[in-house]
Amino acid sequence: MRLREVAYARSGDKGNISNITVLPRVGTDLAWLRANLTVARVAEHFGELVRGPVTRYDLPGIGALNFVLEEALDGGVSVSLRADPHGKSYQSLMLDLELPDR
Amino acid sequence: MAESGVVDVLGFDCLAERTLALAQVKRAADQEAGYDPRLPEYLRRLAPSLKRGLTVVGNFGAANVAAATERTVKELRDAGLGGMRVGSIQGDDVLDLVRGDDIEIPDLGKRLSELGDRVVSANAYVGAQPVIDCLEEGASWVLGGRLADVSLFVGPICWALGWPLDDPAQAAQATMIGHLLECGVQVTGGYFADPPYREVPGQAHLGFPYAEYRDDEWTIRKSGGSGGLVDERVVKLQLAYEVHDPARYLTPDVTADFTNVECRDLGDDQVAVGGARGAPRPETLKVLVGVDLGYRVVAEIGYAGTGCIARAGDAEAIIRSAIDGFGEDVTESRFDLVGVDALAGGTRPETGEPAELRLRVAAYCRTQKTAEALADEVEYLYLGPAGGGGVTRAISRPIGIFPASIARDRVDIVTELIDL
Repeated sequence: MRLREVAYARSGDKGNISNITVLPRVGTDLAWLRANLTVARVAEHFGELVRGPVTRYDLPGIGALNFVLEEALDGGVSVSLRADPHGKSYQSLMLDLELPDR
Repeated sequence: MAESGVVDVLGFDCLAERTLALAQVKRAADQEAGYDPRLPEYLRRLAPSLKRGLTVVGNFGAANVAAATERTVKELRDAGLGGMRVGSIQGDDVLDLVRGDDIEIPDLGKRLSELGDRVVSANAYVGAQPVIDCLEEGASWVLGGRLADVSLFVGPICWALGWPLDDPAQAAQATMIGHLLECGVQVTGGYFADPPYREVPGQAHLGFPYAEYRDDEWTIRKSGGSGGLVDERVVKLQLAYEVHDPARYLTPDVTADFTNVECRDLGDDQVAVGGARGAPRPETLKVLVGVDLGYRVVAEIGYAGTGCIARAGDAEAIIRSAIDGFGEDVTESRFDLVGVDALAGGTRPETGEPAELRLRVAAYCRTQKTAEALADEVEYLYLGPAGGGGVTRAISRPIGIFPASIARDRVDIVTELIDL
């Protein structure tokens, strides 16, 4: 199952750091997502695109997870030679991540 | 929105890391340029609303607040707005200061002195206090340079509601609202549609957002008669946009904690939001340092049909050989197949050969001559592997923007009030 089937996502950039917020489509899926959408799984999925550590933060008020990917933007939007220097497309790549069926 | 009279204050966040870099490039070429090129049009179109009492705050000055202020005064005088007052916030240009301090740029692991004359600009993020000062002095058009995105809204909120900026609880609430508004349509359905899971109506005419404060509650809404949507999903996603640790969202005004922010859908494109907490502001200000990166060349050529990936591979080998010949004049390069891996990297499993693709070559060169020569090499690929077509090429002189920090008491912000 792809993450896209159970969650929404939005990516943003600050310097060479990308953050991707993952919001379950149904609030009760949050605990399942916390257990399955781990830092290790996300780091593995992005592979060589992300050269620094990945950190996950909780936003219990809105029921979302926030992934912070360091050294993830080839130097950042004003420096990068990549075709998507902001990493705007990272949200879509995140949603393609394969998870076990619930 | 301005003409409808529904809002008292309009905030314009005109700057991002990339746009500030572009503004610095323009100013380097022309000392009268480097402010937001849309400023004259904004002034002309908003003049009638200013007459009716609208207040406008924006970081229109970008890399050249002085020239932007001059232009603002001229346009508003020409529009017959005598008696009005303009507030100009300067002092975010800290280049001399950080050169003197020889600060370090963490991303590069280098001090400014090691970068020499490649350092072209340094702008400190300015908070809401000077905005409040200008509004209290009766300014109805306030402009600055690197005014922090959220502070463009925190200033008017604190001014209008009489909230003291040094009360972290109230500054954090205002920051939460400013953060939700600063990216405009991203909280009204922009950057959101992903059918069939996320459908957005009227995407060609997304409404701009505004915040309303009534009975101690904030609601996010959008301009009347517009497309898009405001619901819990878009507000929640935007709340965490470009936030790292949600318990420590750092701005020049406050250390905001969004961990327990909650949203409540009121229907009819209205979402109530609240629950931000605050701690005192950081003792340092973020500084964006502009560094000359040399010449950037981006060139592409397309291949189609069976074998297109193999032919693009041959083309890449030819260009790699050319780059070897340029020696140290090419400082960095990369190759991507647009349509295969340019955006996705290795995240996609093998899905077979596409119907068509473009080989994209991007590089930094020390000289324009080398950049042109490298782009020529891609153009010569018309004579390379079979069937290469549609070469495009572009050479630019980018300024890289790198974050650093400075003690806030070192930065001297000056506000100037000009009577029209």
